[in-house]
Amino acid sequence: MTDMPSVRVEGASFSYPGGKAGVFDITLDIAPGELVVCIGPSGCGKTTLLKLITGLLPCSAGRVWLGGEDVTTASVRSRQCGIVFQSYALFPHMSVWENVAYPLRVRAVDRAERRRQAEAMLDMVGLRGYAERLPAALSGGQQQRVALARALVFKPRTLLLDEPLSALDAATRISMRDEIRRIQKQQNIASLLITHDRDEALSLADRVAVLRDGRLVQIAPPQELYDRPADAFVASFIGRTNLIDGRVVAPDAVDTAIGRIVTPAHAMPMGAAVRLLVRPERIEPSSKETGENIFAATVVHDRFFGASREIELSVGQGMLKIDTTVRGAIAHVHLPRQAVQFLPTH
Amino acid sequence: MIPRWITVAYFVYLASPIALLFIGSFGDLWLNSLLPTGITVKWYLEVAADPNFRRAFMASLFVAVMTSAACVVIGLPLAYAVFRAQSRRVRAAVRVLYQLPVAMPALVLAFGFILVFSSDTLPWLGSIWLLVAGHIVLWLPYFLQTVVADMQRLGLRVLEDAAETLGSTPLQRFFHIVLPALRLSVLSGLIIVVALSIGEFQFSNLIAGFLNRTYPVVLLQAFYGATGFACAATVILLALALIASITGAFAAQGAARPSVAGDER
Repeated sequence: MTDMPSVRVEGASFSYPGGKAGVFDITLDIAPGELVVCIGPSGCGKTTLLKLITGLLPCSAGRVWLGGEDVTTASVRSRQCGIVFQSYALFPHMSVWENVAYPLRVRAVDRAERRRQAEAMLDMVGLRGYAERLPAALSGGQQQRVALARALVFKPRTLLLDEPLSALDAATRISMRDEIRRIQKQQNIASLLITHDRDEALSLADRVAVLRDGRLVQIAPPQELYDRPADAFVASFIGRTNLIDGRVVAPDAVDTAIGRIVTPAHAMPMGAAVRLLVRPERIEPSSKETGENIFAATVVHDRFFGASREIELSVGQGMLKIDTTVRGAIAHVHLPRQAVQFLPTH
Repeated sequence: MIPRWITVAYFVYLASPIALLFIGSFGDLWLNSLLPTGITVKWYLEVAADPNFRRAFMASLFVAVMTSAACVVIGLPLAYAVFRAQSRRVRAAVRVLYQLPVAMPALVLAFGFILVFSSDTLPWLGSIWLLVAGHIVLWLPYFLQTVVADMQRLGLRVLEDAAETLGSTPLQRFFHIVLPALRLSVLSGLIIVVALSIGEFQFSNLIAGFLNRTYPVVLLQAFYGATGFACAATVILLALALIASITGAFAAQGAARPSVAGDER
């Protein structure tokens, strides 16, 4: 039991009638206390995956386990998933504490005990003193906290959050992000959070799962995902990129539009078409004019953000984006050899 | 400037017949002059004392209340089914149903009822229950429209999903979530139904039996008699309809802003 992941999805598929949309053959484990963030463009199947775990949609293939129990055919209410919906889905006619206590009410907990537990949860999410209000009298961030308290009060087997921050303004979003992480760690509950915001994914997650067109492309800790993306889609979805197409000319060199780039040693055959990834912040302005991977560059766009500059450069026959803290004029750039990665070409 | 004058002109156009009715109902004598002479309440007393009007008043209330009850019993589950319907065909059929009372004159329905219910197998023409049945056909779509629109606005589907994941049974969801969330919508839907039902003339005039004519039907007869009497009888109908629509407006406002109720607590 202790070795079992809290959530296991194995080869789960679902397709909506008529359309191609859905999810296909998704396999995913969430360890106890782990927070997995699922990210992808809209329509990639993130919410569908969440509904398969909760049982709001049935798997057409594959299995779902919760806490070591196969729940593939179990009813929604028996699965005991705590869910925070995108719209919060607070019951408008119930007060804050009645909302939080609702899972206990349907479990026939007596009223005084319900009230006590709901108050304790409200304390934890920082809403002491709001018990008697109606949801409509709360701000978006406060409603979010009520939804979180309600999803946790019945000690669910997993916590699922469907774009919980998308309806909040920028400032509230960042403080709520930290708050969700704090509460999730404190409760030590296996959690899946869905988002389309890469900052949210990278800063919150123990592991990030990238979904595209209903398929799981890569699942990895944030750093690994950023440093070793599985393909060009993951690379550009999770950060800014320079994607450079070229042809292998030596065991450690590739000819590209910007010139001959020296790469880490590779095993590609001579003449093979390859795609290189270089992150903009890894490219340095250079004071030297010649040397390994040093190219003459002309500034095309220069955006100043205070702490850093995002610059687009014309290099050889191609373009490069760089992020730098250097203030002065830029005539040459250096691509460190170890900053160059190969991506699979499809 | 011009829009303001148009507004004023429209208001005068709208209000003057009502104002005339009102003045006429309190006027003692009104013969060949612009305005009546003398002030009296005798017309109201006469209407109140007239057994035909008393019976018609009760018949109208009875039909309105029964139609309302049927809307709740039939309409609420139906609205819920329409709201949850997945199939495009069902939704298309429902849209047609919504438009039907607008497209089909009550006269057509009445002739249909006369044809069917004057036969020897179904000789129910003249029964008040037939009148109720006709009103249900006429007003149920308006009730459905109101309630289904509110279900969508409230996001009832997600509320139910949430309740289900929190561990509730279908029956608990219906009584804990669906019914309480919809109580104001049902109320405002019913008030529309009552207002429409009380004022209905075409259908009731053709279908009602002599002993259960509704208020508007009897009202028509009044215009063959004294002007003041007819005016007073009409003002009573107008007051009923106004009460219904004002209550309806407040109920709808309450439904749209549940926070107001919360602040008062």
